[in-house]
Amino acid sequence: MKKIIDVLPLAIFIGLVVVLFSFLSEKDDQLETVLIDSSFPEFSLKALSDDSRILSKDDISDLPALINVWATWCIACRVEHPFLMKLKEESILKIYGLNYKDDKNKALELLKRDGNPFEFSIYDFEGRLAIDLGVYGAPETFFIDKRGVIRERHVGVIDEKVWETKFAKYLDE
Amino acid sequence: MIPELGHIILITHLILCLIGGTMPLLAEYTGLKIFQIPIKKLSVFLFLLISISFLSLVYSFLVDDFSVAYVAQNSNINLPDYYKFAATWGAHEGSLVLWILAMNAWIVGFLFFTHAKDRDFLASVFSISCQVMFAFSLFTLFTSNPFERILPIPPLNGADLNPSLQDFAFTVHPPLLYFGYSGLLIPFAIAVSAMLFSKETKEWAAYSRPWTLFSCSFLTLGIGLGSWWAYYELGWGGWWFWDPVENAAFVPWLLSVALFHSLITSQNRGIFGKWSILLSIFAFATSLLGTFLVRSGILTSVHAFALDPERGLFILGILAFFIIGSLMIYSIKDFEHGEDKAYALTSKEFGFLLNNLLLVVLAVSILFGTIFPLIYEAVTNGKQISVGAPYFEIILFPFAIGLGLLQGVALYLSWEKSTSFDFVSRLLIESTSIFALIVLVLFVLFDNLYLNSFATIFLASWIAVGTLQVSKKRNLGYWDFLRKRLSVTLAHLGMAILVLGVGVVSSYSLEKEIILAPDDSIKFGDQVVKFESIEDSLGPNYFSKKAVISFDDGKDVSNLITEKRTYSPSGQLTTEAGIETEIFKDLYISMGDNLEDDIWSFKIQIKPFIRWIWLGALLISLGSFLAGIKQIRRLV
Repeated sequence: MKKIIDVLPLAIFIGLVVVLFSFLSEKDDQLETVLIDSSFPEFSLKALSDDSRILSKDDISDLPALINVWATWCIACRVEHPFLMKLKEESILKIYGLNYKDDKNKALELLKRDGNPFEFSIYDFEGRLAIDLGVYGAPETFFIDKRGVIRERHVGVIDEKVWETKFAKYLDE
Repeated sequence: MIPELGHIILITHLILCLIGGTMPLLAEYTGLKIFQIPIKKLSVFLFLLISISFLSLVYSFLVDDFSVAYVAQNSNINLPDYYKFAATWGAHEGSLVLWILAMNAWIVGFLFFTHAKDRDFLASVFSISCQVMFAFSLFTLFTSNPFERILPIPPLNGADLNPSLQDFAFTVHPPLLYFGYSGLLIPFAIAVSAMLFSKETKEWAAYSRPWTLFSCSFLTLGIGLGSWWAYYELGWGGWWFWDPVENAAFVPWLLSVALFHSLITSQNRGIFGKWSILLSIFAFATSLLGTFLVRSGILTSVHAFALDPERGLFILGILAFFIIGSLMIYSIKDFEHGEDKAYALTSKEFGFLLNNLLLVVLAVSILFGTIFPLIYEAVTNGKQISVGAPYFEIILFPFAIGLGLLQGVALYLSWEKSTSFDFVSRLLIESTSIFALIVLVLFVLFDNLYLNSFATIFLASWIAVGTLQVSKKRNLGYWDFLRKRLSVTLAHLGMAILVLGVGVVSSYSLEKEIILAPDDSIKFGDQVVKFESIEDSLGPNYFSKKAVISFDDGKDVSNLITEKRTYSPSGQLTTEAGIETEIFKDLYISMGDNLEDDIWSFKIQIKPFIRWIWLGALLISLGSFLAGIKQIRRLV
């Protein structure tokens, strides 16, 4: 005789598949459309390097620019770090950092050690701006055009290939 | 032509897998002789096909055939030959071919080393494995074909292999992991066949044990190598990051450990039959789930080199088909699920039960922590949350304590019930003395005591004493010890060494950020650190700044070399850490920024006992491998 408990593993697993599936199919439109073509959200947060400096949307002034969401706990960020450094060194465009739910000292230490590709980093410990931006995790990169409008978003490591296929085209506009 | 050959052969493999996946089951259910096929021969033939297909991809890499898109994206004309070879599995498409190759190798191994009288049962295991391979081949051909050409104008040089992957450990780490993951196919196929044929628990558990052990052995080695790579290549000095992909390998590892312990009970006592079946299914499911999480891009991670929602959907489909299928059989079919024997709380059976409970709950918690951000977001309509190392460390600690305490006494227990408990006092006395000895040695070596390392050090002593004492008590001769106890002694002792390494390194490590000009020196712990020189140097496909730093502890001077490399095709920077290894500690230095002229920042670290972590992992891997061989010898 089969008991009800024998069906339990099946039920749990189907539940898991449904959750994963719904996320997979939702992800595309949610990630791509929410903020694309809308202007960068307002915020008021401290600078990573200087507690007394309060940053707002107006400080992101040198456009077009990239906003890069990073953190020291995110290893993928370390992988893309050299590429960001390269963008900075070749003066391709300005990059602003959004330091996400991070330990301030560790973050500063990392920038000192590996180089700082950012004009400045916004210190978003509670993830407030990140929520407005719909940030899923680190790393994430947003392209903001001359008018301050978000044009493109990339979740995951940004490298030469991603830059060429997703971002470079907006630079020439 | 060679890539086309590989392509056609991969398609042939796919078709033959379909035949192998259906015929034996048709033969079983219709009873018709025409459907019977020679499974051993077919498995070898399939293996030859997939090997040739794989080798033709290797060949395309070695001759720099950049008209093949996959080669163009992952290799470069200046890449050293060894890395061209390893670049074959440097990204998604090639990894899949290697994965299929690994599955096929396990199937051949299983068929040749299991001399079961029951031919139909073997045919069923083969058939189910072929179905899984068919799904993977289909996936490869339709979403990730490595043989696709860029025509008519192929690129000249190729984009290059990701520089951080141009490293020995990282070329060996993926294949080992793939062999580990794919090995879990065999216990899965056996479990499903056991349900279909209502096989006796003792019998199928015996078939399954060696392959579970081999899988576990490869997973241990693969994960260990990955951790070692992260340690010296990421320039950070950490050895475990709780990255989603690390978790995705850790969870199947935990389940494979749980499974072979549960199988010991099933084989010897004929109990835990249903539990072992469920574990076999879920161990395989988590190895597929790991692939899904990595390839679909729904979790961002350092390993996410090929993100493509379509691929994610495909893998989720494979996962759903096989796991829901097998769980449906589990929930509907009345199969032989072992005996109901009573056992006391002091029995070996109960020990295994507890071990499985702890391992499985731990695995579920880690899996939950890994995918929780997704679920949370789905439920709250887009609100996000991140789960990091602190969660996993808090979760792990009580389980580690529980498992460690259990491991120390486990080998003393007897089936049904244990009668004598005089071992407890000896175990306590001896492990406390070993504990005191280790603490003393640490004090002599590092001039310091950290209370927060005491729990883990005691646990390590407890496990080690529990393992060695039992082996000694059995009073086996030299030869009998090698034959009967070596594998378990190695594996359990390996765990003790690993636990000790983790405990010491997480509390005794020192690190400091320094800025030095050439000839400057600075005091660090008992070392005097001096910036000796810096020079430019040229590698085959990179140029680098090489700094020589000396560490002087008053007795010996060691020179460490750390580098900042710039890889020429991609312009990517990597840091090569300088590491000096001694038995009790590593000296570790990584180069930071060039501040001005020849003034550089460095991060210096002393990492006591870190090598013991990987030594432990190596012993665990070796122990489980030997245990697997021992089980096979029993079957043949």
